[in-house]
Amino acid sequence: MIQKIMFMNGYGVFVWFSFAITFVSCAIIYIKTLRTLKKYENEYAKELNKLSVSERKIVLKKSKVASQVFASYNKSF
Amino acid sequence: MLTKKVKSRVYLISLILVSISIALFFILRSLNNNILYFKTPSDIKLEKTVNYNKIRIGGMVKKNSLKIDSEEIEFTVTDFKNELIVSYRGTVPNLFSEGKGVVAEGVLSDKNFFIADRILAKHDEEYMPPELKDLLKDNVK
Amino acid sequence: MFDLINPSRVFSWIQKLINFINSIFFVVLMIALTFALIISPPDYLQSDSVRIMYVHVPSAWIALASFTAIAFFSVLSFIFKIKNLNLISKSIAPIGLLFTFLAIITGSLWGQPTWGTWWVWDARITSMVVLSFFYIILIVIHKLIEDEDKAYKAASIVAIIGSINIPIIKYSVDWWNTLHQPQSINLLKGTSSIHSSMLLPLMLMLLVLLLYCALIFLMKYKTEIIRIKKKNIKRL
Repeated sequence: MIQKIMFMNGYGVFVWFSFAITFVSCAIIYIKTLRTLKKYENEYAKELNKLSVSERKIVLKKSKVASQVFASYNKSF
Repeated sequence: MLTKKVKSRVYLISLILVSISIALFFILRSLNNNILYFKTPSDIKLEKTVNYNKIRIGGMVKKNSLKIDSEEIEFTVTDFKNELIVSYRGTVPNLFSEGKGVVAEGVLSDKNFFIADRILAKHDEEYMPPELKDLLKDNVK
Repeated sequence: MFDLINPSRVFSWIQKLINFINSIFFVVLMIALTFALIISPPDYLQSDSVRIMYVHVPSAWIALASFTAIAFFSVLSFIFKIKNLNLISKSIAPIGLLFTFLAIITGSLWGQPTWGTWWVWDARITSMVVLSFFYIILIVIHKLIEDEDKAYKAASIVAIIGSINIPIIKYSVDWWNTLHQPQSINLLKGTSSIHSSMLLPLMLMLLVLLLYCALIFLMKYKTEIIRIKKKNIKRL
């Protein structure tokens, strides 16, 4: 049964290689994208941390994006 | 509602697209012979002189025309209007069979005879399980 | 109307959507793979090599659809100067390039056992290679041109010009003799020459890859929003 699925009447190599290359390259792009996203989130949160307390308060209040990134960054520490 | 600036940008884009499309249309039309991947037997028939350069021809392998010798295979390629006899030495792709599409690369020896040095199989856009194909065959009989 | 796609407004939705897709992705993937590799029948002519269709065809569709979307957004952003649409186009381009490459590579792997060749320069395949060049130009523009507004403008013009290639790819198999087979599914007429037992895994794999695209798009779009906010941090 398993042998039959692997062999696929002689087309197994082509079929499995097509599926493998699709999912491997998708996984690589996923990891790369996730890393870039995390990098930008962390850098942004660090810059928010660098601001003076009053400044940060204004930024966090005015920008939803800033407050969310900041909140999730602090949660992860 | 649309400001003058927006309107002018719409015109600009339409102009770009239309002019490129027209240019491309003429380029593609003049290149038509190079874009065609293969010629059909009817195309060969229409040519006034026999072209002895390397070309590709394509069509259906005529049913009951396939003859296999120890070294050579010979078959008729048809586009259901005209026909061409093809001879070939070598291995053929798995999907090559009578009643299926084929593309052959080689040279014409005269208007009706083609000597191929490479055979490619061309399949159609129908996909179905084997049991269903058998059923269809039975119905035709 | 365009307030709907205002970055600050959609930002809180992005992470929720990412989490949702992440939670269902592996279940859908396993179902699709089971159908594509095990349950679905082999083809009467091509035998099991037909299974390559389940990654090849959705990849090609996504490659074409991505460019169509980019071209559409580029026209809108060029005419109405909506900056947010540029961010969306920029986030889609790498996905389109990935799937153009996948369509070409899996097509090559399908061509060898069926046609008898890895590669031919017929109209369909050549126009797909041209599509990959357009994607590469779109991506490189953002790396090479420092001035963002100029980069967005150049990218929209390239996308609008490249959009002419899309109908050429789609109809190449009808307009010219090609080794590539004609299209099996006609959306306008609603007909399909693929048997339903093979259409199901095809659609399931399309769903999987679309979910994946949505995931990558959302992550890239989120990155872009944060990048803009970070640049303007003091301006608030």
